[in-house]
Amino acid sequence: MSSQSQDLVLAAGVRTPWARAGGAFAREDAGHLGALVTRELLARTGIRGQDGGGIAELIAGCVGPPHDQANVARVIALRAGLPQAMPARTVARNCASGMESVSCAISALRAGEGEAFLCLGVEVMSRYPLVMNDALTGFFDSLSRARTPLAKLRSIARFRPAMLAPRIALLEGLTDPVSGLIMGRTAEILAREQSITREAADQYALESHRRALTARTSGRFARELVPVLPQGARPGARPGARPGPQPGPQPGAQALAEDDAIRADQSLTALAKLKPYFEKPDGRVTVGNSCGITDGACALLVSTRAKAQSLGLKPLARIVAHAWTGCDPARMGLGPVYASREALRRADLSWKDMDVVEINEAFAAQVLACLRLLPELDPARVNVNGGAIALGHPVGATGSRLLLTLAHELHERGARYGLASLCIGGGQGGAFILERCES
Amino acid sequence: MIGTHATLEIVDGLAWITLVAPQRSLPVLDLALIADLETAVTELERRSDWQGLVVRGREELVFAAGADIDAIAGLTDELEARALIERGQRLYDRIEDLRGRIRGRMVAAIGGACAGGAFELALALGTILAVDDPRTKIGLPEVMLGILPAWGGSTRLPRRIGVPAALEVILQGRLMGAREAHRKGLVDRLCAKEDLWRIAGELARGTLPLARRSRGLAGLLVDRNPAAIGALAWLARRQVRARTGGHYPAPLEIARVVPQAVLSSRTSSLHLEAELAARLVVSPVTKHLIRIFRLSEEAKGLAKFADGTRAQSPRVIGVLGAGVMGRGIANICAERGFATRLFDIAPAALDAALFEHRAAVESKLKKRRVQRHEALAQLDALDTTAELATLTRQELVIEAVAEKLDVKRKVFRELAARLPADAILATNTSSLSVSAIAEGLPNPERVVGLHFFNPVAKMPLVEIVRGRATSEATLRRTAAFALSLGKTPIITADCAGFLVNRLLGPYLDECVRMLEAGVDPARLERALKRFGMPMGPLELLDEVGLDIAAHAAQSLHSAYGARMQPCGTLERMLAAKRLGKKSGLGFYKHGPRRRLAKDLARFVTQVDPALARLSEAAIAERALLAMLCEAARALEERVVESARELDLATIFGMGFPPFRGGLLAWADELGPRERNARLAALHGGVNPRFEPAGRILAGCMFHAG
Repeated sequence: MSSQSQDLVLAAGVRTPWARAGGAFAREDAGHLGALVTRELLARTGIRGQDGGGIAELIAGCVGPPHDQANVARVIALRAGLPQAMPARTVARNCASGMESVSCAISALRAGEGEAFLCLGVEVMSRYPLVMNDALTGFFDSLSRARTPLAKLRSIARFRPAMLAPRIALLEGLTDPVSGLIMGRTAEILAREQSITREAADQYALESHRRALTARTSGRFARELVPVLPQGARPGARPGARPGPQPGPQPGAQALAEDDAIRADQSLTALAKLKPYFEKPDGRVTVGNSCGITDGACALLVSTRAKAQSLGLKPLARIVAHAWTGCDPARMGLGPVYASREALRRADLSWKDMDVVEINEAFAAQVLACLRLLPELDPARVNVNGGAIALGHPVGATGSRLLLTLAHELHERGARYGLASLCIGGGQGGAFILERCES
Repeated sequence: MIGTHATLEIVDGLAWITLVAPQRSLPVLDLALIADLETAVTELERRSDWQGLVVRGREELVFAAGADIDAIAGLTDELEARALIERGQRLYDRIEDLRGRIRGRMVAAIGGACAGGAFELALALGTILAVDDPRTKIGLPEVMLGILPAWGGSTRLPRRIGVPAALEVILQGRLMGAREAHRKGLVDRLCAKEDLWRIAGELARGTLPLARRSRGLAGLLVDRNPAAIGALAWLARRQVRARTGGHYPAPLEIARVVPQAVLSSRTSSLHLEAELAARLVVSPVTKHLIRIFRLSEEAKGLAKFADGTRAQSPRVIGVLGAGVMGRGIANICAERGFATRLFDIAPAALDAALFEHRAAVESKLKKRRVQRHEALAQLDALDTTAELATLTRQELVIEAVAEKLDVKRKVFRELAARLPADAILATNTSSLSVSAIAEGLPNPERVVGLHFFNPVAKMPLVEIVRGRATSEATLRRTAAFALSLGKTPIITADCAGFLVNRLLGPYLDECVRMLEAGVDPARLERALKRFGMPMGPLELLDEVGLDIAAHAAQSLHSAYGARMQPCGTLERMLAAKRLGKKSGLGFYKHGPRRRLAKDLARFVTQVDPALARLSEAAIAERALLAMLCEAARALEERVVESARELDLATIFGMGFPPFRGGLLAWADELGPRERNARLAALHGGVNPRFEPAGRILAGCMFHAG
């Protein structure tokens, strides 16, 4: 049917495991991880990288590309062996950059600018830089301009120890400059306004770890994952590994095969011991009930149904609708509420049609706040395989993972519709609705 | 002046000599080109309307390939050789002497290959400008052919860059890229291809300055100091003797001539070059080395079809099995830029493969053999997977899984269902029949044997095995692939052991039998090493693995019968769990230092006093005659095309000493009468291993002439 062949589908996808920042992927970089996951996707789908396989462009969502790989999408495309003639762009919409790449593909597909797109989400937060502060930059600047020995001496004499204090890009990146609030504080605002207790947040966090652990051990994520032996790994111990038995099916293997941020030993007592991180002493948000900081990459093939068929692929899901909305930056955590309402409206569907829902777990308090505002959404359907609290939130990559995990979950349950949504720093929300494709 | 091989023109006071030689793809400094150069130099000596000179090739990346190797190979008379050498020396001297007459400079504008005699021409000119391009290859590789740079290179290079550096360059004989040559002082300046002739002209005119590197303190302390030079020379000779066992005369002579060059006059230094080189050129060792060089060049033709078209190498490669061989194969494929996917069922094996690959690339990066972005590309080129299903678009797959017929057939069948019908299925098997593996597979004409040797990165030979159904196209494409990997291929028939292992079998077994008969193991090892083999036989067995060796011996026995009957020691070693290097104990005890095991006496079955008293030379001869008999049979059965390939295989596949020219060249040097006499003594009418066959039986030489 012609309308069916114009459907846009998620044709295939694969991701690396998510690794705790500063751990297994601490010496990785976005170009390498992105290229690896792209090559794996091309291999699994049988697309010949060399000819490009009819792919129009590679779009990568990445919030903090390495400064020497500014258009990391292009670096990834070339390192993955795709033809020089294939263009590539890097896109950013904070935490939803992975979904933004898919959204860009959809616009281009609808405009007839191609039949298939590679949409990546990649983030290596371990490598976020330390930046020289303005005073130190000014110091070097005046030193390089000094010409005479006297001028040089004068420049050097201006040095102050305070110049050595670096700017920590990670912290600054997670702070919204307009409201002046770091993300955790926006969650505190929601917790207070929605009367979400510390205990409720901790309970939710524990549940996230439990569900994620079950999913991992039952092999639920296996279809999505490609093992990675990271750059900088040395034969012997895996860097950043927690003591105790390592996750993964093969003892002795050092490639990271599974998400390693999940705490098998998480407990309410352990969570209760943590002090509030963002607002002391009375805050409800701790590092335990916030999303973990992790590194990872995910690649999706987004195309028309006809193209997927001609490539011999069985699509994972049809993309029904999506929406981006804006809201108050101080309450960015409610983004999913508005975005999903808009997406449902565009799809002409309702919450009861959604069999499986992902609301990104930036903070337990934030997810709970969203659920409060969506009484018609059955919480039992939400984040059934755990979420970012257990798995971690590599900001540019999470959006892609949510779509991939959601699509697989629809198949797992034989369900029909699913919705994935994210809150976005700066006050936005994004939501996608997927429909399972008959296998 | 317009000659057929070189032209001279003087434009605006600048002289340009162009090496034209249109009949060759790369001009060679043969007699015709030398004659034209002599004419050009005479002209320049006569005229005074020029103040600078540029010598260039006919294109920016085409200069000259050095002296005429065919001519050198044909020299048999020392006096004739001396005359040829001195002719070149005189020409270069005249060129160098022109420098005093002009205001400007004399510039060599080189690009592409510029080695040996061609680079010596550049040295005589004095100012060397090179194209910064990966195709530029500069050096003095004469030592590889058993000679030394005799057209002034051994004199001018140490004067230019100092004795220690010059010794390194000339003794190693390695060709360098433009940047390394610049760093080491062989090249004065680099430039882009498009700028070569313009900059050469400006340098020659003197309008462009050139910063000359000064040797500084080193120059003061070493270059003019006879004591220091003497010490360097002594050190060099010692190192050379240690490395070559005194078998190769050329490096020793190089260590003589290069140090004295900075202390004596040009004339006497060149005199010494000529004297030593002339002697070397006609020596048998040099003849062998040149022959081997030409053989390996011929092997490059294996990728051509009968009509002269060149086969295309496959570009997307799969490797099955991450054992020692699979890892090594995957590593070299990725290092050469092939998109490679390595499969194994064990993730730990895949990790090991990646660690090995990364370490190899890192070490090249540290040695500055590659740049960072090239290293990244080589790292990117290798992917690993535990899912066979992800091999979907490979053009050539090399399997190196367990040596079991059903396992190999099964994995190929699975792949054949997924890969295109013309994807080459290559097996690295060493003991199974390629035709047997191909049986039942769709499109068996694309199944071929591609047998690498351990360690994959270092061993230059690959055996391409022609199965019953293997097509010509498959063979040529596989040869093109092997050449792209930098290997030297030979094509063999699909018989047990193919060629190299078939020859090694009786050789190694004969050695172990000598051990069983009471020959002292240390003497056994020494005997073969003195002969020139890179490792003693017991060491080789331990390296390969006694289990693998025993298995190989069994298959040779089943295929060829009594003459391949293995002695019992390997089985007894295996029963005692002694596997060689991999288990730490075999014939040697492998620890921080490798030592012969002290208990080898228990493997003596029956002492044969005659054998136990054999001289080392006789021990080596006995082992190699065993190999020779088998070689004669293999040749008769046309396992390889000719005696030349067989010699090439022994050198590149098992390290048979190149200075002897190969197994059959060695046999020819013994002479048919002597050879047959010794074999008869060993055969004694009963020993099947030494039963004469083929050309041995016929009593003739292996190589014509």
